[in-house]
Amino acid sequence: MSGYGGWAGKVLRVDLSTGRIWTEDTIDRYKEFLGGTGIGYKVMWDEVPAGTKPYDPENRIIFGVGPLAGTGAPCNGRTAITTLWPTCWPIPLVASGHMGGQFAAKLKYAGYDAIVIQGKAARPVWLMIVDQKVEIHDARRIWGQGIRGATAAIAEIMGQDAVVAAIGQAGENLVPMSVVMNAVSHSAGGVGSVMGSKNLKAIGVRGTGSIRIAGKKGDWEKLIKYHLSLLGGNNQHVVPNSPQPWAEFYDPKSRWNASRGKRWGAAAHLVDTGTCAPRETNRIAYRSNTAAFFLGDNLWKHTVRGNGCTSCPIRCHTMLKVPAVAAKYGIPAVGQNTCVGLFFGSAFFKKLPDGPRGETSLEACMVGMHLADDLGVWCNYGQLQRDFIKLYYDGVIKKKLGSREFNSYSWNRYEQGDPAFLFELLPRIAGKEGELGTALGLGTGHMLERWGLSEEEWGKDKDLSYWKMGHPKHHASEEAGQCGLLINLMYNRDAQCHSHTNFLRNGLPLPLQKKLAAELWGAPEAVDGMGDYKPMHPAKARMAKWSLLRKELHDSLSLCNWMGPWVASPLRERGYRGDDSIESMLYKLATGDDKDREEMDKVGERIFLLHRALTIRGMGTKEMRDRHDRIPAWVFADKAGKPPFTKGTTRLDRDDVRVALDMLYDELGWDRATGAPTRETYRKFGLDGVAAALAKRNLVPP
Amino acid sequence: MKGQASMAGAGKEDRTRPGDAVVRPRDTMAEHVAALIRKRSAAGELITAAEIPDLWEVEYPSFPDADGSGEDIAGILTRLVHENEDLHKLSGAGSPCYYSDLHMTAAYAQIVLHKQEGPLRLIAETVRQNSREYQRPVALDIFTQPPFNLEYNQVRDYLSIMTAMAGYGDIATTSSSASRIYLYSTAHLEREHAVMLAEWLDVGQAHNP
Ligand code: SF4
Repeated sequence: MSGYGGWAGKVLRVDLSTGRIWTEDTIDRYKEFLGGTGIGYKVMWDEVPAGTKPYDPENRIIFGVGPLAGTGAPCNGRTAITTLWPTCWPIPLVASGHMGGQFAAKLKYAGYDAIVIQGKAARPVWLMIVDQKVEIHDARRIWGQGIRGATAAIAEIMGQDAVVAAIGQAGENLVPMSVVMNAVSHSAGGVGSVMGSKNLKAIGVRGTGSIRIAGKKGDWEKLIKYHLSLLGGNNQHVVPNSPQPWAEFYDPKSRWNASRGKRWGAAAHLVDTGTCAPRETNRIAYRSNTAAFFLGDNLWKHTVRGNGCTSCPIRCHTMLKVPAVAAKYGIPAVGQNTCVGLFFGSAFFKKLPDGPRGETSLEACMVGMHLADDLGVWCNYGQLQRDFIKLYYDGVIKKKLGSREFNSYSWNRYEQGDPAFLFELLPRIAGKEGELGTALGLGTGHMLERWGLSEEEWGKDKDLSYWKMGHPKHHASEEAGQCGLLINLMYNRDAQCHSHTNFLRNGLPLPLQKKLAAELWGAPEAVDGMGDYKPMHPAKARMAKWSLLRKELHDSLSLCNWMGPWVASPLRERGYRGDDSIESMLYKLATGDDKDREEMDKVGERIFLLHRALTIRGMGTKEMRDRHDRIPAWVFADKAGKPPFTKGTTRLDRDDVRVALDMLYDELGWDRATGAPTRETYRKFGLDGVAAALAKRNLVPP
Repeated sequence: MKGQASMAGAGKEDRTRPGDAVVRPRDTMAEHVAALIRKRSAAGELITAAEIPDLWEVEYPSFPDADGSGEDIAGILTRLVHENEDLHKLSGAGSPCYYSDLHMTAAYAQIVLHKQEGPLRLIAETVRQNSREYQRPVALDIFTQPPFNLEYNQVRDYLSIMTAMAGYGDIATTSSSASRIYLYSTAHLEREHAVMLAEWLDVGQAHNP
């Protein structure tokens, strides 16, 4: 290991088939890929040949963290888990899931930048990591238990300061729609069954070491304070959601939703969130209440506090206390989660007796949270629930199930919006029970194929939010025009990119956003007003490229792309500018590797390029433009028939989108005709070997 | 891509932090008036020239009468706004009001001003500002929250009154598919755009968490 700070220095390797455990030097093998998804893609490229299936022992599952994990950098708690994606349809391709919590930091403190797991254990096992001591333990006692029970059992052995990432019954039963989870509610979707296929129930980590910061202590502390000063509320929304004496702007849809008079009503002692003004950096944790944002102001009275990942002041996993559910459903009164994890349960119901923000909805949320987060069922960013509603109300479920199975469900209860229905449905998904449980657990693409339904039809219905390859849109054209569309074309699952949407939804008025956009991406035309889209412009392609590279950088540094980037800020005195160099400044001081923003962007681009190369190799074609970068029909439709580029529609124009793709490919150095990177582009990023390997299979454009 | 601002500003004192005491010598009448404005702003309120003599009596009983100083209040206020960076005059439908930006922004002061001018103007001007500056309709229920603090049914009643009154013809409503009422100004937002935005804000965003 060289003298770099930031990195722990070793990658832990475990072969579950042979029981062999060894380490590799991070810097020697992976420095140019940083960590996180970077290490993940590199391992997948080097070691997992095309044609490998997700559940083959030869597949790898890589828990990668980055050089900023475990440091004091804000929002550094993300672990990227990379593998062949079981819900990717029609063939599995590489993708990554991301969990927050405490896993990333603990892994670093134990001395590792990543864990690469290969092979398959002969019987259920769990992996115990206590600094240099790494052991494979028998897991037969905990196999069959939910995530909660397994975590408690391992914590009993390892002690309270260990973190446990475990799968539930869904992962054990090889249900593709399954998660791995640590720290109560922090999950990575889609990968639970890959662990299950390796007979790996859990990984427990206890680390007693620390991370060395290469820069001077004073400089590091100053930088952290500076970064904190740029933070907004959740998702980097930089204005409050209601007029405040200190604020010039407000946005009722901002996630900065606390203010004087808003109280954590279920805390041991009632907590008033206070004025929550920008410079109060020791009170950032009071700014956002994710549960109240999503489920309504009624949730303030149920709020215990915010919970979250290591070193993140945002704490977007709201801890809720709903005493009524304990007696009524036999579940704990306290639960926590964020975003789609919060409303996992309520999202199954088309109708709830007292509406989407009533008490029954809240109860459904609590039931869903407890079941899904114990069984380890994944929702695929809400696609599971949207599919379920459509399949039921279109009569498909009735048609596909035998009458015996169909009648075994209380459909009356479901239609009335009774949360208890979830006790019938979710365990059967986790247990692959019956036709319905099995089909829903496959993920959308494979479910449609199994039931003879058309993926193309699914892609026509905007309300279904389906995108492609078995996965939904994730901040695509419906809210971010051509930029959102381009981003969503690139991945093999939902895009999970927030770089663009965190900027577009930051709450600043459009003229100010345009001003910042011109500084960042060269022209104000990079951003449009919502529902007032303008034709494609090169600045939109630059914004899309920037968004993608920032996502890969964040995922490889362990920064949270649900919060970053930080190019806008709540600071009036800075003209609401953030800082586009914050990632490189943190990286440089932490590691001592003298890279500026442009050089870091190159690293991000190298990582993203490798993802593209893996996708090309996996698909066995370079015709990415036609065969991979596919667009669902709803993008080009409008219910009222409004033409593209008229106010009041998000409909896009096919010819304009062709131009958009050309521009993005140009920005990335990819061939316009095929959408595949050129040999020259691979060379530019030091991936000559990748180009050579692809060229042998005719997968590089001429 | 151009670089952005540097770390300058990190750790700088927040001028707008409410509750911070602004220590100034209080040896002249003008300074006392300035202190009164700031105090009112810190409490989230504006002050008019007419209010000053009454407040003066309560705050500074041992000083000469506010209007007996040889310089009238209007003159003092003009001078204060000229000499103090933080003090501002705000002109609305009624008498001019004054505030200090140490404690509230101009945007917030406008809302307080409209509040003083009555609920119809408060609703209309807020709706217009949202349509004009942010290109968005606003949900009716935001008026039930601070700093507006109106009752839901009151707002509905005010809207009915406005439809029959001159000067409010641009204030229009639409509903999302989840039956939430949104308000917008036809002077700044086209109807179809407002309808689409209301649906996006109320329903669409929930599907795009
Ligand atoms: S914003 Fe939420 S997910 Fe991101 S680091 Fe913070 S607590 Fe974790």
